[in-house]
Amino acid sequence: MPLHQRAIDRTSRADLLRGAGVAFAGITALGVARLAGAADRDQDALNLLLMVEYAEVGLYSTALEGNRLTGELRSYARTVLGHERDHLAALKQTLGAAADPEPRQDFAKATRSTEAFADAAGRLEDLAVSAYNGQATGVSKKVFVAAATIVSVEARHAAWIRSIVGRRPAPDATDTPLKRDEVLDGLRDLGVQL
Amino acid sequence: MTTLDRDGALAEAEAGLSRGRFLGLGALAGAGLLLGRAGSARAAGIGAGDRAVLNYALSLEYLQAAFYTEAERANALKGRAAEAAQVVGAVERAHVKAFRALLGAKAIKKPRFDFQGVTEDQKKFLKTAVAFEDLAVEAYKGQAVKIRSDAVLASALGIHTVEARHAAWMRYLNGIQPAVRAFDSPRPRSEIDVVVRKTGFVVAAPRMTARKRRPKYTG
Repeated sequence: MPLHQRAIDRTSRADLLRGAGVAFAGITALGVARLAGAADRDQDALNLLLMVEYAEVGLYSTALEGNRLTGELRSYARTVLGHERDHLAALKQTLGAAADPEPRQDFAKATRSTEAFADAAGRLEDLAVSAYNGQATGVSKKVFVAAATIVSVEARHAAWIRSIVGRRPAPDATDTPLKRDEVLDGLRDLGVQL
Repeated sequence: MTTLDRDGALAEAEAGLSRGRFLGLGALAGAGLLLGRAGSARAAGIGAGDRAVLNYALSLEYLQAAFYTEAERANALKGRAAEAAQVVGAVERAHVKAFRALLGAKAIKKPRFDFQGVTEDQKKFLKTAVAFEDLAVEAYKGQAVKIRSDAVLASALGIHTVEARHAAWMRYLNGIQPAVRAFDSPRPRSEIDVVVRKTGFVVAAPRMTARKRRPKYTG
């Protein structure tokens, strides 16, 4: 089978289940007790990423409820919202009782027009990539493996929305990690009340 | 929507490329500098395990860089595909350069490739590019857990997500969904190697160890 055929065939739901199931079964099995105890670093990292996922679900939900999106942007938002909901559920399940509550979010400004939404989505997806990359060092191997299955999907989203609006999908040779405070500032700029 | 601030975006993208080429090298070279002035893996104190991962990543970057460079030279691509080949090619070459700088004398040599005309046909080029980029994402993810050094890991992760951006970009140009699944799985080297071997694109394997007999002249 030619290489290109093989790669395209591999995008099945079985792969989705395999990726999510294996990675997250691993950390969930360890339980909340472990996360609440020794692995504060894991918990801090996962809670920061939880804020990112809350923001993504919030932005796409608000935009789709507003019913303003059409065509390519609408199908992008619907598909990506599904992914972000899965990410959010996985992180919440992993954190259990240690999960921080959902922050107050106001995406009225970010969804006031299709242009505003496209801009906000591009910024948020780029921010998500940098947030995950920034939290990848110093965490346990299990958390690392699980987060790694998500970060490249965020990068795909970032390139996708950039493609739709005619911005270069991969502007740099490497994605720069962002520190915790930089991630929180970025989220605040987009309408998350932290 | 497709032309939202297109001129501004292109100008920004041009700036982004040069910035990216330097930033990209900077991150990896920075890792080398942090670890040792000579910048070579041995001087940097990178362990044999990390060195093997870096050399494996280098072998994939050689493949990608050669593919896009050949496509650019063949000059058979049109429009956005031609632009993408040019931009992505420059980035993959920057990755090669950075890995080679980090590995120094321990870097594997570039193999010889034969892309069998795929780089001269827009449709085949795009399909192969999608396959290569999706494969690179799986490969980097599969290797990342093995990396011991935090500096090397940070560099590899920054490249991992750029490969994912490339994968989505090429998928978009090919008219297929850029992000199909909520979670991307890693893939072990043994599987990646089988896929690469089956393409027949690599016609002469690189030496996995540095040559000792021949004197090396640098500069």
